[in-house]
Amino acid sequence: MDLWWRAISEAEPGPKWAGLFAELWPAYKAWWLREGADARPTYLESLRALETHMPEIVPLYERLCDLAGGGDLAARFLSFYRPPPYLSGCSQAIWPGKAPVLVRNYDYDPRAFECVVLHSSWQGRKVMGTSDGLWGLVDGMNDAGLAVSLTFGGRRVVGDGFGVPLILRYVLQTCATTEEAGKALARIPTHMSYNVTVLDRKRHFLTAFMAPDRPAVLTHAAVATNHQEKVEWDAHARMTASVERERFLLQRLTLHVEPEEKFIAAFLRPPLYSTAFERGFGTLYTAVYRPRKGEMELRWPRGAWSFDMKNFAEGTRCIATPEPQSRVS
Amino acid sequence: MSKRDLKNISEIRRFFHRNEDPIYFISATNFNLLGIDEWCKNFKYICYIDCYDGRHPNVFCPSEQPHAEFQSIEDINNYLLQHKEVIDLVKRRGGKPKFVFLMFDEETERLAKELGADVWFPKAKLRTKMDNKIETVRVGNKAGVPSVPNTLAEVKSYEDLKKTCDKAGLGHDLVLQSAFGDSGHTTFFIKSEADFRRHEHEIVGEGEIKIMKRIDCRGSAIEACATSQGTIVGPLMTELVGFKELTPYRGGWCGNEIFSTAFSPKVRQKARDLTFKFGEQLRKEGYRGYFELDFLIDKKTGDIWLGELNPRITGASSMTNHAAFAHADAPLFLFHLLEFSKAKFKLDVDELNARWADPDMIDGWSQMVVKHTEDTVDILSHAPQTGIYKMLEDGRVVFDRFDYHRRAVESENEAFFLRILKPGDYRYEGADLGILVTRGRSMTNGFQLNERAKRWIHGIKSAFSANPLPVAEAGPALAEPAFKIM
Repeated sequence: MDLWWRAISEAEPGPKWAGLFAELWPAYKAWWLREGADARPTYLESLRALETHMPEIVPLYERLCDLAGGGDLAARFLSFYRPPPYLSGCSQAIWPGKAPVLVRNYDYDPRAFECVVLHSSWQGRKVMGTSDGLWGLVDGMNDAGLAVSLTFGGRRVVGDGFGVPLILRYVLQTCATTEEAGKALARIPTHMSYNVTVLDRKRHFLTAFMAPDRPAVLTHAAVATNHQEKVEWDAHARMTASVERERFLLQRLTLHVEPEEKFIAAFLRPPLYSTAFERGFGTLYTAVYRPRKGEMELRWPRGAWSFDMKNFAEGTRCIATPEPQSRVS
Repeated sequence: MSKRDLKNISEIRRFFHRNEDPIYFISATNFNLLGIDEWCKNFKYICYIDCYDGRHPNVFCPSEQPHAEFQSIEDINNYLLQHKEVIDLVKRRGGKPKFVFLMFDEETERLAKELGADVWFPKAKLRTKMDNKIETVRVGNKAGVPSVPNTLAEVKSYEDLKKTCDKAGLGHDLVLQSAFGDSGHTTFFIKSEADFRRHEHEIVGEGEIKIMKRIDCRGSAIEACATSQGTIVGPLMTELVGFKELTPYRGGWCGNEIFSTAFSPKVRQKARDLTFKFGEQLRKEGYRGYFELDFLIDKKTGDIWLGELNPRITGASSMTNHAAFAHADAPLFLFHLLEFSKAKFKLDVDELNARWADPDMIDGWSQMVVKHTEDTVDILSHAPQTGIYKMLEDGRVVFDRFDYHRRAVESENEAFFLRILKPGDYRYEGADLGILVTRGRSMTNGFQLNERAKRWIHGIKSAFSANPLPVAEAGPALAEPAFKIM
C-alpha cells in the first residue's frame, strides 16, 4: 500500500498543527473511544495528572487544546493520560562507533500510523521526530542533542499513567542530557510497558524499562527490542521475534567492527526488518538520529529521506509499503 | 543395588552394566555425553534436537510443541521436563529416575522433583555460586591455584577503567570478564577506547568485573571429577579458540584437541596437580562431581594460570570421555554417576591419576564446533546428515555411512559429523551447524588450523544449502517528491 509521508515544520502551534488535528482527529477519536468515553479519565483528572507530572508543558498542552477546538474529548485525548492500550514491535540500538548514533525500526500497522515527521520550536526548544498522537513522538531529537526512541516492552499489564509518546515529547521539551532524561523517565508514570532508549551528544546513553506496575529500571543496555530484562509475554515475543532481534543486534554490536553505514543497513533486512505486515508488525521505517550533527534520516529498503534540525525542509514522499499478505514460510 | 563395596574399576564397570535405575541426560543434544549409554544400562538421552533423524536407539526427542522463546539451555530443559511425551516416557519406564543436565536452574530442580526424580548434580544454587568468575578466583586462591593478575572492580567508563588498572599495575592491554558467561560471550579484549565502546553495554552497570592483564597465552582445558575418594583428573587438552572458519566470536571456544604431547611434561603435570588441588578445595566448598578448568599457559614462560571454572560437563566432555584411557578404564563421567549413585566404592585415585597421566593412555583426536560464520540469515534447504564422512583425494567431503559412534572413524581421512542445524531451520551468524570429530590433530605446531582441518570445515560447510529470506522492498513510489502540501 502507498503511505503518504509528510514532513511538517511549524515553529509555534498554529494553523498547520490545527489542520493536522482536524484531519486525523476522527480516526483517533474512534480509537480513543473504543472502550467508551467513561473508560477514559475525565478532563479534570487528565489536567491534574499533567500538572502533577509534567507541569512544564501544561501551557503548551492548553494551547494545543485551544487549536483543537477546545472540546472536552479532544483535550482528554491530547493529555495522553490512560489512553486505550496498544501494541507495537520495534528494534533500536546505539551504534558502537565514536560519534553518537541511534538507529531504530518502527514496526507497526501502516493503517494506524500518521506518517508525519514534525519539526517544531515549541516553548523555545527545537524538536523533530516521528509524530504519534499529534504531539507525541515515537522517536525524536532536540536541539540540545538529545535523541530518544521507544519500543514496546512486551508485557500485557496496563495501569495508571501516560501514553509513552507524550513522555518522549516531554523528555525532548524539557531535558538536554541523558542523565536528565533518565530522571524524567524514572519519575513519570507510563500506562504500559515500554523500553525507552536515550542518547545524548556526549554519547552517554541509557535504556529505561518503564512499566506501570513496578519502578522503571534504568539500564546501560545499548539495544532494546520487545521485552524487558526477561521475556514475560511469550506469544508476543515469539510473534515479533523479539529475542532473535535482540541477539542479532547484540552480536552486531560486539562482533562486527563495522562502519556506521553497514550497521544502519542491517536494519533494512531480516531479521531486524520485519515483513509481518499482515499482523501489524511490519517495519514501517528505519530512523537514524545523529544528535551531535542535528540530523535525522528515514530509510526504507529502496529509499531515504534526511532532515536537518537547523534547515528543516518540508515535503512529501509516497512510500510503497508491502501490502498485508499471508506469510511466506 | 549391591550393598557390597565396589573395590576396583572392573567392579565399578560391572555395577553400571547391571544398573537398573533409569538415568536421563536431558539437554538440547546428547553431544556432551555421547557414548555414556554404552557404559551404563538404562541410560537415555532426552533431547530437543534430534541430530540422528530417529536413528539413535537411546535418544528420545518429543515432537515439537509451541514453547516459550528459549533464552538459555536451562529454558530448553525446563520445556522438555514439562512436555507430555517426556513425562509419559519417564513414567512408563518407571523406577526412581535420575536426571543429569548440562545446565539447570532452580526451576529445573522443581520440575525434576515434581517428576519424582533426583538431580545427580550439586544444587543449582551452589553451582551458580561456583560458576561466578569472581568466586572462582577466591576458590583458586584458597586452593593455591593462582589466577592471572587481576583486580575486581565496577567499571563506570573507559577513563575509570584505566584508572583502576593503573592502580592495580595491570597496564592497559586487558581482558575483562563479567561474573557469568562462557565461550567468549562475556570475555572482552580491551586495548583501546573503541574496544571499550563495543562492549560498554556489557560492562557498565554490570556490577563487579574481573579485570585481567592480557597475557600471551595458550588456552587449555582439563576435566576432572571430585569424588569421595579424591579428585580424578583427565588429560590436559588444547583449545581451539576464535578461528574465523569456525566461529564469529573473537576469543570464542570452537573445539579441542587431545594428544599426548600437547604440552610439555612439566606443564601437563603442573596442570594435573593444580586441578587435583582445585577439586579437593571444591569438595570442601560442598561441591562434588564433574567439573572443568581452563588454564592459561604463558607461551614464553610456561607459567600456568587459572582461567575459569565450569562446574558441570562441557563441550569438551566428549573428548575426555572417548580418549583411549577412558575406554581402557572408564569414562570420567562414569565416576560422576558413581559419586551420586550412593554406591559404596573404594578407589585408588592416585593410581588411577598416575595411569591417566601416562602418554600411552592418550590417542590423538580433535573436535571442531562449526558455526555459521557469515553475516547472513537464510533458511536451510539441505543439511548433511550425522555419520561418517570421507575425504576424497581431491579434497571433497562425502557421506560414507551412518554411525553414531565417533570411534568408528578409522583414519585421518574420515570424520564423524554430528549434525545440529536441520533443513527448515534458520541459518544465522553464530548458529551451530554441527560438530566434526577427527582422529589426529586439527592444529599445526604453531596452534593455527592445519590444512586438513580447513579442508574438512570447507567440505562440510559446502554440504549445507539454504534459501534466502523473502525481502520486502519498501521505498518511494516516485523518485521525486510529488508535490508540497503546504
